[in-house]
Amino acid sequence: MATEDPLRSKVLTGSQVGELSAGTTFVATAERPIDASGKVKGRFSLGPRANRVLGLLSPLLIVALWETASQTGVVDARFFPPPTEIAETFWHMLTHDAQGTPLPFLNMLTESVLMKDLWVSLSRIIVGFFLGAVPGLIIGLSMGLFRPVRLLLRPIVSATYPIPKLALLPLVMVLFGLGETSKYVIIALGTFFMVLINTMAGVLNLEKIYLDVAKNFGASRTDFYTRVAFPGAMPLIFTGLELGMGMALLLIVAAEMNGAAEGIGARVWMSYAIYNLREMYVAFILIAALGYLFAEGLAALERKVVPWKPQ
Amino acid sequence: MTHDKITIKDVTKQFIVKHSIVTALKDVSMTVHEGEFVCIVGPSGCGKTTLLRILAGLETMTSGRIEMVHSDRNKPLNSMVFQDQSVFPWLTVRHNIGFGLKCRNVDQKEIDEVTARYIKMVGLAKFADAYPYQLSGGMKQRVSVARAFANDPEILLMDEPFAALDEQNKIMLQEELLRIWEGSNKTVVFITHSIDEALILADRVIIMTSHPGTFKATVDVDLPRPRTISTLRGKEKFNTLFMELWNILREEVWKAKQSEGLTYEEGGPGTGPAGETCEGSVICDESDLVM
Ligand SMILES: Nc1ncnc2c1ncn2[C@@H]1O[C@H](COP(=O)(O)OP(=O)(O)OP(=O)(O)O)[C@@H](O)[C@H]1O
Ligand SMILES: [Mg+2]
Repeated sequence: MATEDPLRSKVLTGSQVGELSAGTTFVATAERPIDASGKVKGRFSLGPRANRVLGLLSPLLIVALWETASQTGVVDARFFPPPTEIAETFWHMLTHDAQGTPLPFLNMLTESVLMKDLWVSLSRIIVGFFLGAVPGLIIGLSMGLFRPVRLLLRPIVSATYPIPKLALLPLVMVLFGLGETSKYVIIALGTFFMVLINTMAGVLNLEKIYLDVAKNFGASRTDFYTRVAFPGAMPLIFTGLELGMGMALLLIVAAEMNGAAEGIGARVWMSYAIYNLREMYVAFILIAALGYLFAEGLAALERKVVPWKPQ
Repeated sequence: MTHDKITIKDVTKQFIVKHSIVTALKDVSMTVHEGEFVCIVGPSGCGKTTLLRILAGLETMTSGRIEMVHSDRNKPLNSMVFQDQSVFPWLTVRHNIGFGLKCRNVDQKEIDEVTARYIKMVGLAKFADAYPYQLSGGMKQRVSVARAFANDPEILLMDEPFAALDEQNKIMLQEELLRIWEGSNKTVVFITHSIDEALILADRVIIMTSHPGTFKATVDVDLPRPRTISTLRGKEKFNTLFMELWNILREEVWKAKQSEGLTYEEGGPGTGPAGETCEGSVICDESDLVM
């Protein structure tokens, strides 16, 4: 019998564990000890800071490789401009206006090429997102909760949902013109279906036993909606919002293809037209940053609104 | 003078599964008096849960009649402790336990008081504001028990509420349940697999037959109260009752085993397996019964 600190390990001998051949000792060790700072120590966990460093390693490596490959001509620098040049362009766009005049620091946030693009796209995304998410949520909830509504609307939703929203873009532009409205509408459409479908599923997938509890404990209709159905559907509602947000980012680029002078998507198409790929890469960076921020924002909101979900 | 609180008359319940009919309950009749503590035992799958769900208004019956006397309109008629996990994941322990009161628009101060009392009773004071994912299975079951108690119904319907609990908590909650029941006029219908448990708790034990479930026998438990497991164990009367129940039950358990695989009869009810009986020499598989 091995004698070890009983708190740290549990030792089963072969005679106790039938499947093991005689004499073998199966040692089930306890979890890695936790040190005073609350960090788990062990071979494969390096602590949160080290983990973050590790996560940065691969992108940094790619950027470094890209830089060298581009500088040495291994890849065509017209298509893959070196990251340093992209950074330079980024800086230039951040510090100059559309006419190329340098801006004083305070004006950069509102007047620089980059920030203007960002604000314009951001407002389109946010307005479109809310225009889609709010009705999506309301209709999704009603379809989940009320059978007649579901029976009435399901065929329409099922028929329109699979149409790629991009295919609707020309129609939307014909109907709503080339201005802001058509951009809101196309983003709203994409968000709407994602939120609707997931919200409805969230309500319909509620485990039946919770309906039984609500009924047995005398929940009124209102109680049922507010205390059972809505909170129960919350996790999937958030999934819908996340997918809707992804959809919005995807659609903004397409929506700004025509009739937009500013915006991240417009920047992509303009740099394509004038063959200035460095600006296109800057636009990519902005889209990625937006996507990251939105995802983090929604995750933070979810932790607040759905505190009961295991982290 | 004891009134009948629950009258069950010729209740039959059939489920339609694909194209065949499963008869879960067949002509079940029984009565439960006001203030009585009744335990129902029977082989697994004999329809105990189904019967309780019908009483709780969660399932309709195919035929038959049930009467429940609702004497105090300020109290709910019945509250159920479910066999399966039924605690709302999105509510804290506190709010889960107060759920029924909240639905009845009891004022918040009273809800807080009652809730706090039952949280303490089930030993979850430290977890009052925890969410169910932070609890163990047994702790969740205790929340479910407290939720029903806190709702203060006239009839408590309990479906193997303590089956998932460890021995200490089980004994503690059994005693709590008896204490609550003795000080009240509550009627309790309690399903269990354990003969011990039935004998500790019940005024009367009702035994159901194996599939399709129907009333088989009733045994009065005339053991003195208050009872605790330690005072009962080893008592002559306890042992006699135990053997009496076991002898009735093991026949059913054996039948249930025999008809395994034949439970889904084509064409409908009434064609159950022939009633073989379990002779004294036949060894019944005791693993079907948790004691
Ligand atoms: N919703 C349902 N649909 C179809 N069949 C069902 C349904 N619910 C129960 N049954 C069937 O009815 C019978 C009785 O089930 P029930 O759950 O009432 O048994 P039980 O006595 O509670 O068993 P256990 O002791 O294992 O909990 C079983 O044969 C089961 O398959
Ligand atoms: Mg059951």
